[in-house]
Amino acid sequence: MSLRNQLVRISTGGRIESEAGHIQIVTALNQVSFDLHDGDAVALIGHNGAGKSTLLRTMAGVFHPVSGTVVRDGKVATVLELGAGMDPELSGYENIIRMGILMGLSMPEIRGKTSEIEEFTQLGNFLQLPVRTYSSGMATRLMFAVATSTQPDILLVDEIFGTGDAEFQIKAKERMESLIKSVGIFVFASHNNELIRQYCKRFFRLEHGQLTEIALQDI
Amino acid sequence: MSLPLKKQPGLADIMQSLHCFRIVAFMALSDVRARYKRSVLGPLWMTLGTAGGSAGLGFIWSELFRVDAATFVPTLTAGLILWQFISGIISEATVLFSRQAPIIRNLNLPLAIHPMQLLLRHLINFAHNAPVFFVVALILGLPMNPNAWLALPGLFLVALNLLWLALLIGLLGARFRDLEYLIAMVMPLLMFISPVFYRPNYLPFSEHIMWFNPFSHLIEIVRAPLLGNPPPLFVVETNLAMLVCGWLLTLYLFNSKRDRIAFWV
Repeated sequence: MSLRNQLVRISTGGRIESEAGHIQIVTALNQVSFDLHDGDAVALIGHNGAGKSTLLRTMAGVFHPVSGTVVRDGKVATVLELGAGMDPELSGYENIIRMGILMGLSMPEIRGKTSEIEEFTQLGNFLQLPVRTYSSGMATRLMFAVATSTQPDILLVDEIFGTGDAEFQIKAKERMESLIKSVGIFVFASHNNELIRQYCKRFFRLEHGQLTEIALQDI
Repeated sequence: MSLPLKKQPGLADIMQSLHCFRIVAFMALSDVRARYKRSVLGPLWMTLGTAGGSAGLGFIWSELFRVDAATFVPTLTAGLILWQFISGIISEATVLFSRQAPIIRNLNLPLAIHPMQLLLRHLINFAHNAPVFFVVALILGLPMNPNAWLALPGLFLVALNLLWLALLIGLLGARFRDLEYLIAMVMPLLMFISPVFYRPNYLPFSEHIMWFNPFSHLIEIVRAPLLGNPPPLFVVETNLAMLVCGWLLTLYLFNSKRDRIAFWV
């Protein structure tokens, strides 16, 4: 490996390896091992491309490790990229059902949550219009409201704060906080040290796919 | 519920998908609704399109081929409807997983729900087109006999065959992005060597070439009963053989590559 590659490695990303031919393989996580139990609130820290999102997806069961195992016990909810399954042509209400169904909720459950989502998003009659007509902030309100309307045992959250107007940010934070309090295990990938200190009790640092647990004062 | 890494991820995925049928059915219906959201006639446009196509082509070609319109037009209509169903699924299957990337990358759902959803959506479209055949048959006075009921088990076999085809093509298409364009190139060719526009016995010399095309068998097993004849035995056998071999191959590949799909999309 050249000196230049070594220097670049120091800053970002997992390790890029070439296998036979031109297939490139990125080793995003390597020798990562830990146990989480009820009551754990974990922060994942590390710079861009350190493997935080990959680890969250692996914990969620989206990615499967090439070696090793992931054992989960409990209902998992993810707040990664918002809006999976949203169709811009359909109305807000129809999209609430779509996203809810995909998250594994039943129809009566979704109907039960609709009024609460209406109230939180404050979109009013806009929920009857196609999502296509929403501003990006309005769409975010809807996606965030649906994504946080579950009652999981394990909650995996990727950095999602900092969208929408000031009023919404405060409401989103409140909603997130009450959700965090209700779950058994909470894992949160973020660059925001203030939030991390506020919500989390354990701190995992990721560097080049290697995970180390650190103390609060080392952040 | 504890979920250790399964030895057979593909098989486990398909079992889980069957449990998610509620999701599949809702999403398929919702997709159709979204597709025709702001049109007045909605999915009826498909019905009208098929009716127009078979009327136009049917009457011109029955004159060109010098065959009786009363037998040719229903043949053509049934052929067109079945071809739309089959080719729609095959063509869309190439981008099956990449189009659903946001769902695959963010939610822990089984992956086989996507081919099931594709199949169901096209079955809904098919149900909108099928009445055209019966109207045409009625207008032209095509005699229907009890053999027509055999079309239903035939359609069931075709659907199960298309399900493995969609899963296999989707899997390969997620990895090899050229497949999308390759399939788009090959489908028109396959249409001409399948009995969409003619009956197998119209071809004096190259009938055997046509039977090399698997889609010919998928079409004939449904269409022959609709036109009053039981499907030829070798067509039924080919369908069953495709079903068994196809699913074995697909399961083998899906088992070994299922966990890679999330990285490919």
